[in-house]
Amino acid sequence: MNRSQLVKEVISIVGKGNVLQDKASLAVYEYDASLFQGRPDVVAFPMDTQQVAQLVRLANREKVPFLARGAGTNLSGGTAPTRGGIIIDLCRMRRILEVDTKNQTALVEPGVYNLTLQNTLAPLGYYYAPDPASQKVSTLGGNVGENSGGPHCLKYGVTSNHVLGAEVVLPNGEVVWLGGPAETTGPDLMGLFVGSEGTLGIATKILVRIMRQPEHVVTILGIFQSLEEAGQTVSDIIGQGIIPATLEIMDNLVIRAVEASVKAGYPQDAEAVLIIELDGLADGMDEQALRIEEICKANNVVSVRRAKDNSERAELWAGRRGAFGAVARLRPSYLVCDGTVPRTKLPDALRAVKEVSKKYGLPIGNVFHAGDGNLHPLILFDGRNPEELEKVHKAGTEILEAVARLGGTISGEHGIGTEKLKEMRLIFSEEDLEMMRRIKQALDPEELCNPGKLVPPRMEQAAGQG
Amino acid sequence: MRRQKPDKGEKDAVKLRAAEEILKEFGVEATHLESPSSEQEVQSILAKAYKERLSVLPLGGGTCLGVAVLPEKVHIALDMRRMNSISELDPRNLNMMVEAGKTIQSINQELAQLERGFMLPLDPPRSSEATLGGSYAANMSGPLRHLYGVLRDQVLGVRGVNVEGKQVGFGGITVKNVSGYDLTKFLIGSAGSLCVITRVALRILPVPEASGVCRLMFPLDSDLEGFLLELRQSVLLPSAVVGRWSAGEAVKVLTVALEGHPKAVQRQAREIQAMAASHGGSGETLEGRERLLENLRLAVDPQWDMPRTLALKVSVPIAQGLGAARAMEDLAVRGSLRVDLALLAGNGVIFVYATDESDQLLAEFSKGVRETVLRTGGQVVPVSGPRESLKEWGPRIDPVVGKNVVMPIKRSWDPLGVLLPVGL
Repeated sequence: MNRSQLVKEVISIVGKGNVLQDKASLAVYEYDASLFQGRPDVVAFPMDTQQVAQLVRLANREKVPFLARGAGTNLSGGTAPTRGGIIIDLCRMRRILEVDTKNQTALVEPGVYNLTLQNTLAPLGYYYAPDPASQKVSTLGGNVGENSGGPHCLKYGVTSNHVLGAEVVLPNGEVVWLGGPAETTGPDLMGLFVGSEGTLGIATKILVRIMRQPEHVVTILGIFQSLEEAGQTVSDIIGQGIIPATLEIMDNLVIRAVEASVKAGYPQDAEAVLIIELDGLADGMDEQALRIEEICKANNVVSVRRAKDNSERAELWAGRRGAFGAVARLRPSYLVCDGTVPRTKLPDALRAVKEVSKKYGLPIGNVFHAGDGNLHPLILFDGRNPEELEKVHKAGTEILEAVARLGGTISGEHGIGTEKLKEMRLIFSEEDLEMMRRIKQALDPEELCNPGKLVPPRMEQAAGQG
Repeated sequence: MRRQKPDKGEKDAVKLRAAEEILKEFGVEATHLESPSSEQEVQSILAKAYKERLSVLPLGGGTCLGVAVLPEKVHIALDMRRMNSISELDPRNLNMMVEAGKTIQSINQELAQLERGFMLPLDPPRSSEATLGGSYAANMSGPLRHLYGVLRDQVLGVRGVNVEGKQVGFGGITVKNVSGYDLTKFLIGSAGSLCVITRVALRILPVPEASGVCRLMFPLDSDLEGFLLELRQSVLLPSAVVGRWSAGEAVKVLTVALEGHPKAVQRQAREIQAMAASHGGSGETLEGRERLLENLRLAVDPQWDMPRTLALKVSVPIAQGLGAARAMEDLAVRGSLRVDLALLAGNGVIFVYATDESDQLLAEFSKGVRETVLRTGGQVVPVSGPRESLKEWGPRIDPVVGKNVVMPIKRSWDPLGVLLPVGL
């Protein structure tokens, strides 16, 4: 089937007003928030599960690749096509279908923004725990595809820990429910689906767990003259048996960018800021906060500040949440690495990042979820300079190699997509990867559902592809 | 049955006997019984089985083997309980790697002895016998899931041996990890049908500063449902809420576990007692960790001789938990069976224990439970029980999901059917 016939068929399913096919529009869908690019043949905006299933069946019949897309905030190339085909943009499926506080669940469509759900739940005294920094714009469908995290994951876990079930259009076009409000038996299929980067199907309804808002929250900002001391503070807090809701660190380069952008009140000469948040019952929390402040002092903190009210708390967080966007002031492009190491290996990992920065002459800012060892080195560069771009890719790989050597993993929350395919071999054996490939082949034998992502091809295939 | 490696000392001999008893309890006849003590031994056994097309049944403590689809005969029963050590322990990073054959209780005993005191917040029924690998394969969690989440929330990584005898590993030792398909979670609940689990990486937590437990009694004319709803919708953070009673008993006993800062524990105990009183209940508060653990064990463990006890795990939406438990109580009273119910009230999970001399009566009861639960959109799975009483159980997995997802994966991972069948 040629492209114009394909477009005609897509229009017959979703209607003319729900299709993009002109060159300029398709160019917008060539990329996500990673460096990878690939052009689709057509973009469709289905309105319901039925239309998604019809699109998938059409793709199967015509052997055309397809992939689901939310807001495209993906940082690893997961939502840009590798072989053209149909992009199924779920942004018009954006209803919150049910909020059930008695059963502590919410049923949503995949195009609902993470923050929209939070704002709906807040007046009811509930919240949804995963809170990626992109929550203003990233969709829950995308969060499911990527198994998104966020600052509060230290205590509450990632998306996978909060998704109970989903209606899924499988790669063959069948519609099934995986998981649900009651625990299902057999292998944990919901666990497999979350984080599969849209390679095993498309979620069209998502059932999430919602939680009661904590009675009390204390947010503390620690200013340090050394990144190492900020890191040691994190280790010492956990070493004393305190598990805060968040432990977030930003280094000087990021602090300066953030201050120039959102003016969160961080001192620009600080080498590191550490945001610590406690939540839960009010009883005993002040004592815990005092203990934390003592730990900060023992690590030579320059100053410690507690947010007095919600607006001051929001201000402190605005800086952290705006960090990725703020660095655009420094250089036109950035590559964010997403390695995770055991917490006590953070100083080693940060040293490795510094060495890579020096080796390639590239500025690298650090903003990271220190509590769970999840680094986000931001390699700053100018994407228009091909030589610099090449250096960036090498620098990114070397950072991930260091992370793997330290017993960590190459992605904590941004996924593998196309960008880290070759680095998968740093942490998995061929046997491990083969088990993953068999799952993909079992569910998508024609490899049409977001092909070329997540699992690298077999060695011989990779060699064949040059 | 031919027994391999019988001469491994008294301790192992006891375990081997127990394996035979377990197989007998579940009505499975095994030609060989193997007790590997290393991953390499598991590899050679699987490689041989694959080559010679022999069927393999991985075995732990036998506390939840009913979750698996058990054939009447297997070639090799693989008793994993000699692989029973904590192979890596890193309290500073709050993680550990444990061999599959170690019991949950012994893990917690070792963690509690560390300088600061740590815990694995996992407490499936019969945790003194239940192995980590078995609990993982059967997806079993206990009352502490209320605060800490289920087994899948504690697991960071897994290592195992595939049907070809090759070592495989997924996940890692970090809390955040989205590298590749999350097969660490996928294999939870796979009940020996996809690979043999040899080691599991888990997150651990410091033992809370203070612990306490409220034991509450709710007589017939009280409003237990109202109490549970108010507690669920309050800001309080109990770590477990378990109802335990025998079918037909007028008084329902509720155990509420509290952990955390001493002030938070005291305040919660006070408010929970007051809340219970306002709904017609009454009770006492006991302090200390031992009391908490002991009461949770009493609340969730079966109290009878296991070979004659049918154990079912029922799961329904949270708000329907009490209603479902009452429906099962009615079934028990009508069938004149001795039935105990352990309701994990904040999670919609009910462990149902029924005992009777008649397999027929047990089978009728389990059928009744199944119909009742499925009608209300819930799920039920047999955990253990006399083979005859579970004979007509039928599929454990939704047939559409089974046909389109589980079977294609099973065929690709285990084309010769060396491991147990999937629940279809």
